[in-house]
Amino acid sequence: MVKIAYFDACIETPEEILVAADITPIRLFGNPMIGIDEANEHIPPNHCVWARNILQQALKGLSQDIKGIIATHGCDCTNREFDIWLESVNLEFFYFLNAPLKRDNAALKFFMDDIKELIIQLEDKFNVNITTEKINRAIKEMNYIRDLLREISKYRERMILSSSIFHDLVKNVQQMEKDKAKEMLESKLNELKTTKSSLDKKMKKILLTGSVIDDTEFIKFLENLKYHIIIDDLCIGTKYFWNNVDETDDPIRALAKYHLNKPIYSTKFPSYERFKTLKTLAEQYNVDGIINIAQKFCEPVLYSHPYFSKKFRELGIPYLFVEMEYNRESYRQLTTRFEAFAEMI
Amino acid sequence: MSKVKTDGKMLNATNKLKNEMGRHYLAIEQAYREGKPTAWATAGTPVELLYAMDVQPMLPENSATVSAALSKSQNFIELAEDEGFSYDLCSYFKTNVGAVLSNAEMNVGGTRKPTFMLSSDVICDTHVNWFQVQAERLNVPHFTIDVPHVVSNTTNRQRDYFKKYIAEQLWELLDFITELTGTEYNPEKGYKIALNSYELGKIWQDIYELRKNIPCPVSTRDTFGGLFPLFTMPGLKSPIRLYKKMYEEAKERVDNGIGALKQEDFRLAFMGIPFWYNLRFFSNLEKWNAIIVFETYVYAFSKFANPNITKEIVINYPIETMAELALSFWYIYDLKTRFEKLKETVKDWKIDGIIMHDNLSCRPNACGMYDLKRKLMEESDIPSLVITSDMNDPRKMNETQVLNQIESFMEILRKRKKR
Repeated sequence: MVKIAYFDACIETPEEILVAADITPIRLFGNPMIGIDEANEHIPPNHCVWARNILQQALKGLSQDIKGIIATHGCDCTNREFDIWLESVNLEFFYFLNAPLKRDNAALKFFMDDIKELIIQLEDKFNVNITTEKINRAIKEMNYIRDLLREISKYRERMILSSSIFHDLVKNVQQMEKDKAKEMLESKLNELKTTKSSLDKKMKKILLTGSVIDDTEFIKFLENLKYHIIIDDLCIGTKYFWNNVDETDDPIRALAKYHLNKPIYSTKFPSYERFKTLKTLAEQYNVDGIINIAQKFCEPVLYSHPYFSKKFRELGIPYLFVEMEYNRESYRQLTTRFEAFAEMI
Repeated sequence: MSKVKTDGKMLNATNKLKNEMGRHYLAIEQAYREGKPTAWATAGTPVELLYAMDVQPMLPENSATVSAALSKSQNFIELAEDEGFSYDLCSYFKTNVGAVLSNAEMNVGGTRKPTFMLSSDVICDTHVNWFQVQAERLNVPHFTIDVPHVVSNTTNRQRDYFKKYIAEQLWELLDFITELTGTEYNPEKGYKIALNSYELGKIWQDIYELRKNIPCPVSTRDTFGGLFPLFTMPGLKSPIRLYKKMYEEAKERVDNGIGALKQEDFRLAFMGIPFWYNLRFFSNLEKWNAIIVFETYVYAFSKFANPNITKEIVINYPIETMAELALSFWYIYDLKTRFEKLKETVKDWKIDGIIMHDNLSCRPNACGMYDLKRKLMEESDIPSLVITSDMNDPRKMNETQVLNQIESFMEILRKRKKR
């Protein structure tokens, strides 16, 4: 089966379109264990470390069965990086998906146009026919996966499932053939139904937010410091299965609406709306505190931090902001800050 | 007697720029006195539509450069950092935050609370984030224009629906302003303003055409300052008069074979935003008899560089014109177009080398710069030098190091000339 990778600083790539084309969507994740010397020859060192890390992997060569890339509109850095991919990465298919900045009707129409263009270009390149029926089928399949993830997430909320295992599951779903993902999730759900909690109930219940956090080792690091991520608003987390795509609407419209109606990302406008989502989640899950992680040089998150800090202070919700390098060494260096926050809450 | 200066410095007309900027600030003061609507706008937004709707624009970026030129920006930036804004964020943004916090006067880069704010992501996300931050802090409405990102393989079919999306938002902007101010869009006024803006941009381009001559009649002393009316006053008559004077004087220099430098050995292009706190830095180039004859950033703001946009189109479709221009703005060209345009520019302006500013505050512009440098050299034998610094934060400039880099670069250019 042909695979197409997607490079998405949020999660606004409509995987259903690829599934409908019998193509496996593979989300690209960073690898904090590698050096990024080659990427640094293309992008200055004060640009997003995560985006440079992914470029590094692409320059070195992605898996051979990956035939193309969809880069989805995120921030200045990820957007601008696309042209470097075009120049320097050896793939057959490149599409920049302009997921809109705004969330209104004009943006919806525009996003639909851009998804239609993606379909045209995929059909041309891979000689496939992406019909309405096939997209509808893919929507049903993806909705089922979202249902499963929501069910499984409840076990995280009940402190039966650890946040790192959950994080790993969501990551895997974004890199697997969807049939296999379904089987994996069904099996996990069955297992959880008979699992008793082994987690320490005294762990601090945390709402995790911020940049793309794709290293499960970081979640394990937090667990070792006695934090449990009871809820998050991350794209490798709750935003991946927040709600379902409407199965009764025109499928392109339904897909565009689905992505625009999810809680907003820090890269979109008005990103301050994120505060409302975070506040609701913090109250709903009665969290002990909020941790906001900015990958080094992640501008969208850096801009909103002072506002969040002020608003959570007003609400009396403990809030920790951490700017972090994208390597595991840096986690250890941050231990004291996380320990101090745990003490405080 | 000829009015042409022979000492190779600024054009006389550029001295009148102060009056023009004074007129702009006066107009702002007057708008406040008379209770007229005002708006902050980011660079790259259609400021013409604000004038067409009787809204007095203010451009905080322009104000930030004033702070830098008066050595005030660092203080403002540090105030913003005290508020929790990272050391790594845009220095224009932080200068503005600090200036507002200090209630700075307009003559040192302060600005006034506007009726509303207008931003766009045409250049960067920072513009949108910046105004979101300030709109919340000052409690004013904020409208943003989403400009789809054009990449090197964007097709014409895509450009068509990109343009439609932008135009739709521009009409929404007019409704937004009407709702706030009660002013309806007057097509007749819109047409006149669009025409003035077109004329302003075209004269600016004519000045640049004169710079193709050897020796070059106009230096950065005229262009870095001279660009401000393009930002703040597109659509008004008075800057057109100023630019016409600049043009006439430059033309006279060309006709008399006089350059802005007495001895012109090297012709350079500058890519990126200059260091506003250290404009004298550019005078250093004169030591090597080098002159900058083209600045991509400054040229970008002449706006009407798209050959598909004719005067007739501007007159008949001002809104659609703005939408089209947003997709073909020099400063944000995709990498492939940047390469092609630079190659043409080097040929037409007879440029020996390019200085590229890897601006720590402007990631969209800096991203791709290394590839551009490599490609220009490998495919077209055009040498470039990348220097790292910041447009408004003097803490991030190591002048000695940069000068050493330039010295080495000039040595390379000298050797190439001897080949």
